[in-house]
Parts: sequence; structure tokens; C-alpha cells
Amino acid sequence: MSRAGWLWCALLLVVVAVSCGRKNSAEVDAEVTSLGTVEVTAQVEEIPGAFPPNDLYNYAYVLKYRVLKVHRGQLPGQEILVAQYNPLKPRTTVADDVSGKVGGHVEAFRAGDIHRMALAAPVDQFWMGGIIDKYFQQPGVRYWAIWTNPGSR
Amino acid sequence: MVFTTHIFLFYFLPVVLLLYYLLPRHRNAFLTLASYVFYGWWEPWFVVLMMFSTVLDYVCGGIIGAPGASRARRRAALLAAICGDLGLLAFFKYYSFAAENWNRLAAVFGAGSLPLLHVVLPIGISFYTFESMSYTIDVYRGIVKPARNFSDLSCFVSLFPHLVAGPIVRYNVLAEQIAYREHTLEKFTCGIALFILGFAKKILLANPMGSVADAAFSAAAPLPLDAWVGVVAYAFQIYFDFSGYSDMAIGLGRMFGFVIPKNFASPYLAASITDFWRRWHISLSTWLRDYLYVPLGGNRRGLRRTYVNLALVMLLGGLWHGANWTFVAWGGYHGVLLAFERWLGKKTAYEWLPRRAQVAATFVLVLFSWVLFRAASFHQAAAYLGAMFGARPAGDAAALLASEMYTPHRLAVLAACVAACFQPMEVYDWVERLTWQKAVALAPLFLAAAGAMFTQTFNPFLYFQF
Amino acid sequence: MGRARQLVFLGWFLALIYGVPAYQSAAEILRGRAPQFLEVFTTTPTRPNLRAFEHRVEDASLVAQAVRPWMQDAWFALFRDAGEKVVTGREDWLFYEPDLRYLVEPGEPGEPFEAIVDFRDQLARQGIRLIVLAIPGKPSVYPDRLTSRVAAGRTIRSSTLDLLAALRHSGIEAPDLFDFFAKLRREPASSPWYLPQDTHWSAEGARRAAAAVARRIRDLGWIGPGPVRYTERPVTVRRTGDIARMIRVAAIERHYPLEEVSCRQVMRQDTGEPYRDAADSPVLVLGDSFLRMYETDEPRAAGFIAHLARELGRPLASVVNDGGASTLVRQELSRRPALLEGKKLVIWEFVERDIRFGTEGWQKVRLPAAP
Repeated sequence: MSRAGWLWCALLLVVVAVSCGRKNSAEVDAEVTSLGTVEVTAQVEEIPGAFPPNDLYNYAYVLKYRVLKVHRGQLPGQEILVAQYNPLKPRTTVADDVSGKVGGHVEAFRAGDIHRMALAAPVDQFWMGGIIDKYFQQPGVRYWAIWTNPGSR
Repeated sequence: MVFTTHIFLFYFLPVVLLLYYLLPRHRNAFLTLASYVFYGWWEPWFVVLMMFSTVLDYVCGGIIGAPGASRARRRAALLAAICGDLGLLAFFKYYSFAAENWNRLAAVFGAGSLPLLHVVLPIGISFYTFESMSYTIDVYRGIVKPARNFSDLSCFVSLFPHLVAGPIVRYNVLAEQIAYREHTLEKFTCGIALFILGFAKKILLANPMGSVADAAFSAAAPLPLDAWVGVVAYAFQIYFDFSGYSDMAIGLGRMFGFVIPKNFASPYLAASITDFWRRWHISLSTWLRDYLYVPLGGNRRGLRRTYVNLALVMLLGGLWHGANWTFVAWGGYHGVLLAFERWLGKKTAYEWLPRRAQVAATFVLVLFSWVLFRAASFHQAAAYLGAMFGARPAGDAAALLASEMYTPHRLAVLAACVAACFQPMEVYDWVERLTWQKAVALAPLFLAAAGAMFTQTFNPFLYFQF
Repeated sequence: MGRARQLVFLGWFLALIYGVPAYQSAAEILRGRAPQFLEVFTTTPTRPNLRAFEHRVEDASLVAQAVRPWMQDAWFALFRDAGEKVVTGREDWLFYEPDLRYLVEPGEPGEPFEAIVDFRDQLARQGIRLIVLAIPGKPSVYPDRLTSRVAAGRTIRSSTLDLLAALRHSGIEAPDLFDFFAKLRREPASSPWYLPQDTHWSAEGARRAAAAVARRIRDLGWIGPGPVRYTERPVTVRRTGDIARMIRVAAIERHYPLEEVSCRQVMRQDTGEPYRDAADSPVLVLGDSFLRMYETDEPRAAGFIAHLARELGRPLASVVNDGGASTLVRQELSRRPALLEGKKLVIWEFVERDIRFGTEGWQKVRLPAAP
């Protein structure tokens, strides 16, 4: 085969990879529809600052979400503050002996991403450890994310 | 992008190699594009600066080399190129430094102050401005012909292997290779070997030594022994880091068919400071010689002028390394030592010692200079030098440094660094006759280095300020 | 080297640099996902986005994840090197590197000092008193287990003492636990006051510190003896130290046997129930994981808070935030003003390394005005 032929093969391989691996844009599983008191699809509006290292301590980090759809339960407004446990870890591996039941399929947290979440409130009743809440001067409830899956509009 | 990262080693390099060798033509254009991606990975808009510098030198080089161009026109074009390149460097690298110093003086004399802008230093700017500037100067001097086309020059300036940490390659070295170069299996395998050795130097030797140096230099008041070991560790860190990057650059160059000259020649085996500068960062010292020392008159205008020229070149060479007075002092220190050796008739004050002792004495002189180079300020440098000679009382906590500095791993690496530094064979020469035994030995070395890369979080890039 | 061998060498190198991304992509496709590296084409090329992408690729690398424990294990076997955040001391004692760095590196206590004084002033306006408890890090108390340069049984002078002196000079009550532990070390003891594979104190260390603090409170007369009587029940727990756990390599963790810790669980004399906090207590304890140890961790009700309560004869209120005693606990007070209702005394505990490395630094936090 000529060089150009190989080049086309490489490009074809990439196209095949992309089409084979089309990401599930929204994941709905039993956990997200049953855990907690609220089920919501929301977009990460802001991640304030960078997540600090989690080498010695596991912490929860409060993120700001814009609510797109409430599937179950009630929410006070369109913007909610949600504490994500140990956000440096993928949700599939985040649960440990102190976290209680947490999980989901989100791999990493990025501003702009859409998540479908099972939530409970207030966070203090579910997580007794460190909470990094850069919105501490903002009144209102902090939700505890029990299950976090990728979502879609 | 940094060579010793996952993204470079397992994504950028394989993709670029694949596409480069699949392309039947326009390989230089592709390399340029890949180099822009490589460079823009830090900060995409930095690419615009590099393009500006390249366009400026291409246009000016064209004017200078145009048949029948008048002397005045050629001079004007040369001046424009030099002003443009140095202006870029001056603003992005030295503006904040100059403004801070000016404002300090202005406060004393009651003059107006300069605004303190938050100027981000584009990585590698010192390297590529020197390279592109040398192109225009060489065209003016008639050493090289103007580039055949813009693609050739942009490929030379941006070529990713040597872009951010050197070697500083002259256009005349690469011009012919850009036009035509051979891709041979031997060259490629030699390139792989060099890359592996450079990679291992950086990951397995420089990074652990960097941790030792950091521990000593960040301590409030280290004990004398710890201070000495700290600066020795820094000497090893900077050598293995810098020469490791050069080896990787040269190795990568060979994978793409380029032959880039070597940049280090066992510098810690130097028996004098003059000898040290023949062996350390060769591409910079020869650049400074050819484009600064010689035009200033070199040694042709009497002894006194020679000393002044040496000191001036080294002061500017120091400043090239970073916008801080400590770098200027580092350059000045070397300049004074070079002038002193020249005054002694190209000899050292310890010429009478056996060769090994001369090497040791030179190494100690270089160590003092590394204190200036590593310290963030004169105050820290003075405090550290004081600690080396026990002139500062070490605190109670200083005793604890030992637990961090003298771990079995770091002691083993220190011993490996001593063994590697004080032997005459540079890896550049070692791979020239690449045998099967050597290739087999390189395999576990690369696996160990790549494995260590996966576990290391301390992987500093020392050239951000260069 | 002959052509064939050159080809073998070349093939080996290419197999390695292509094998890693190929394996990763194949695994991702098999999981029904697009290869992660393709995200670069859908990411806006800005510096933060590119850095974040690069970190995601590194973190998600299956080969790196598989190789990392092997490498760490090999490094540990060869050099007793347990990673960049762990310093291996003598007799298998482990130390947390930031604890050591805090002691060795110079630092200005300006920011913490100002935040503490500000907090004291805000509390004073609400009629609440403050006690500041800076807990010595393990290397301050056991430097001889870190290096043979320090004579056995000796402690070292930490720069934290300068901060405490400055606080006392400003009229803030700041008991000296450094001298306290130095004296304890001179006592014959069957087990150490800090855990060998953990950053924290032992249960007995916490109990003795609580007794010393209670004594000081009684001497000051800030809180009178309470009506509740507590008894103690001996309990032994077996635990993996947090430093050993931080290494996250099973083979290395196995090298360090579970630590057996003798605790004394605090029980209410009237009900026989283990100690529990009371939100309406006049005493609020703020702090970090030193308070969590043995308290909400196993065996529960056997940590500093429970023993302080026992000594004071009353249950206490507490806000515990791992690694967040510098600022986060005060942010929580700001967010939940009810926590300060009816309080007469706040005991604010933090480990000394947080003076430099506390999460979110030492911000001044405005507390809500008293109701």
C-alpha cells in the first residue's frame, strides 16, 4: 500500500473509533431514580477554584449547578449548591468506608457538563467530614450528591 | 508540552511520527504545524508571538539577501529584525523586572513610575528569538542564503524538538537538512537511544535530585553538611535536567531525520572555568561568542577590553537565563572568573594541583555559582552561602532535614549522579556506536523511567524563565 | 548493530508508545465510550482547558494505573521509599511530609495571627471566650523517630511557639501543648502518645491533652463544673494509620500491621450510653481530624471531645472539619449561626502544619451578629 493509502487507513480508523464509541449522553440507572429525595438534571455552572489534593483527607466540595429539569422531588430555585464527595475521583470509585452510599458514572467534573443526580439535603446530615464551600456567605441549602451520572438536556 | 509527560510520550509523539512518515510530501509544513501545536499547548496565543518573530526575520532576511540590495537597506533590515526580536524579548521577559527596578529608583529620586503590567512570559522565547535573530545576522554576514521560502524558516524556528529548551541551533546547521535530509533506520534507532537516555536522566536522576535541592534550599537554616549536599544535588539536577532535555531534543530530531549538534560535554570534568564554558550549554556559549563577544571586539582590542568584553558577555548571558539580579550576578561571577583565568594566561590559580584536584576545585567554584542561580534573591543566596560555612545558627528543626534528604533512594541517586557526571563519556557519543547490548540495556531503563514518570508528581520544568 | 536488530529495537519502542494509547482507546471503545483523547478536538483550546484535558488523560490512563502500584511496591522494596508525601522514619514510623516541611521551612505567622485575633474579637462581641489549641505535629513530638540526629526522647522547638507567644501577648488563651507532650515523653509509657503510622495522637495522648485543657479551663474559671457524670470503659481498636493508607498500595500497606490502640470510651453514668454531643452546650469545640480520632471514628466517644466533656462534666457541641480547621470551620459557623447560640466558650483546635498549609488559608470570616 502507498503512504497515502496508509494515511487514509489511519483516518478511517479514527472515524470508526469515534462512531463505535459514541458516548451515552445520558445515563439513567436504578440508583439515580431511587436514591435521595430529589432527582434532577442540572448543568455545572461553576466550579469555584481548583480542587485541593485529597491525599490525606477526603472532603466534599460545593459546586454551583443550574437546574434543567426536576425529575423527582422539589427544589427551591433554578440554581442549587451541591456538595460532591471527593470530586477528584471518578464516581465509580468514589465510595469508601466513610462516605456512605455515593457513586455514579461521571468521570470528572468540568464546568458546563450536564449531570443527572440523586440528591439529599442538608449535606451536614450525610457527611460529617470536611466541606469546602466557597459560597459559605450565600444562604440556602447545600445538597449532598448521592449519585451523579452524565446527563443531557 | 513537556517531553517527559504522558500526553507527549503516548499521544503527541506517536501521532506526529505516524503522520510524518505517512505523508508523501509537505513534511516540513507538517512538522511546523505540529510544532505550533506543541508550542501552543502551554498557551495558544504564544504561537502568534513566535509567528511574528518568524515573519519579521523572514521578511528582513529576504530584504538583506535580495540581489542588488543597497548597504543602507540591508543595514536597516538587519536593525529592524534585531530590534523586533530583542524588543519582543525585552517586553515579554524583562518589562516587569525593568519596571520594578525603575520604580524603586524613581521612588528614591522622585521620578515618574512605570505601570506594573502582568506580563506572562512566553515559554522558550529566549531560545527562539536567539535562533531567528541568528538567521538574519548570518544572512547579513553572508554566511547563509535567505530561506527558500517561509515554510523553511518557520520549520527551523519552530521545530519542536529544540524549541523550548534548546539546543540553540543556527540556521546554517539546519538549512540544508530542511531542504534535504535522509531518514535512515540507523538514525532513527540512534534517536530513540538518545531520547531514552535523556528521558531517564530527567526522570530518574534530575527529579530526585531536585527534591533534595528543594528541601535544602527551602529550609529556614540548614546545617552546613545539608547545605553542601543541597547545592551538589542542585548541580546534578540542573545538569541532568538540562542535558537530558538536550539529549531528548537531539534524539527526537534524529527520528525526523535532523542532526543537531551536542550541547554538553561532561562539564563537571572541566579543570577550569574557561574549560567549563567549553563544555556547558555549548550552543549558548558559542552563540554568545559569535554574536556578542566577537562583534564587541573579542580579544582583538587589548587585554583590558578583553576583560570588559568577557564580563559583559557573561552578565548578559546571565540575564538571558532569567529576569532577576541573581542571574546577572551569576553571569558576572563567571565573567570575573573567566577574566581572571585570562589574566593568568588562560590558566587557573590552582594549575599546580593534580588534574583531579583541579576538576574538584572547578566544581566547587561552579557550586558557588549555582547558589546564586538557584536562590530567589540575594538575601536567600547570602543566607544559603552562610549556612554552607556554618555562619548562620541552624534551628532546632534543621536536624530533621536529614530524614528527607538522605533517604536510601536519594542517596542511591546521588551516587549514580556522581558516577555519571565524573566520567568522560556523554550519551551523545555513547549512542554513536549503538550496539545490540546497549539497545538491550536501554529497554529496562526506559521502562523504569516511564514507570517512574507514572508515579512522580514532582516533575519540574526548569526553563520557564529562560 | 545489524538491520534486523535495529528493527527489533525500533519495533519495541514503537510498540510501547503506540501500545499505551491503543490499549486505552480500545478499552474505552469496549466500554461504549469514545476514546478520551478525541476530547481534544471538542475542547476550546485555552490554557486551563488544555491543562485539564492533559490531567484527565493522565488520571484515566489504565496503563499508568496498572503500573503505578508495581512501581511503588518496587521502590518501597528497594529503597523503603513510600512516595513523595510520606517520609519513612526509624523503626517503621511514618511521617507526613507537610508536617516535616512546616517545621523545616521558614514561615511568617502573620495571616493566622490576624485571623485568630479577628475571630477572638468577633466572639468577644457576642460574649464568648476563646481558647486556641495548636496541636504539635508528630515530628515536633517524635523527632527522634524521624532521624538519628535527634537524641532519643528529645523533642524540638517548633516555630508554632512564636505564634502562641504572640497570641498570649494579645490576650488570647493559648495553652502550650508542646511543652505538655515533651513532659509526657519523659514519663514511662507502654505505648507512644502519637501513632507510629498515622499523623494523629494516640487515644491516650488525646485523653491526656483533654485533661490538661480541662484543668486550664477550670483554673480560668470560665466554665463551672457540669452536672453530668461520665465513666470510662476500656476498648481496643485495630486500625490502619492514615499515612500507611495514603500510600494506596496494598503490598506496602501489608508491610505495616494494623495498629492496636487502647482507648477509653466515655459513657454516661446515668444511662450507660456512650458520650454524645449536645448542640445546646455552652462549650463549642472547633477543629480538625485530631478531634475526629476515636470520637466519630472507631470506637467512638473516646477522643479528645468526649474526654474533655467528661472532665468538664457536661456534653459539648462540636464542628469537625478534616484538614479545614484554619478557615472552613469558621465558614461553617458563618453559614450556620445557630451553632453559636448560647455559647460561652469556643475551643478552637488545629494542627500546627495548618498554620502554613490549612485548606483555604487563614481568611478572616465575618460571623453573623448575635441575635
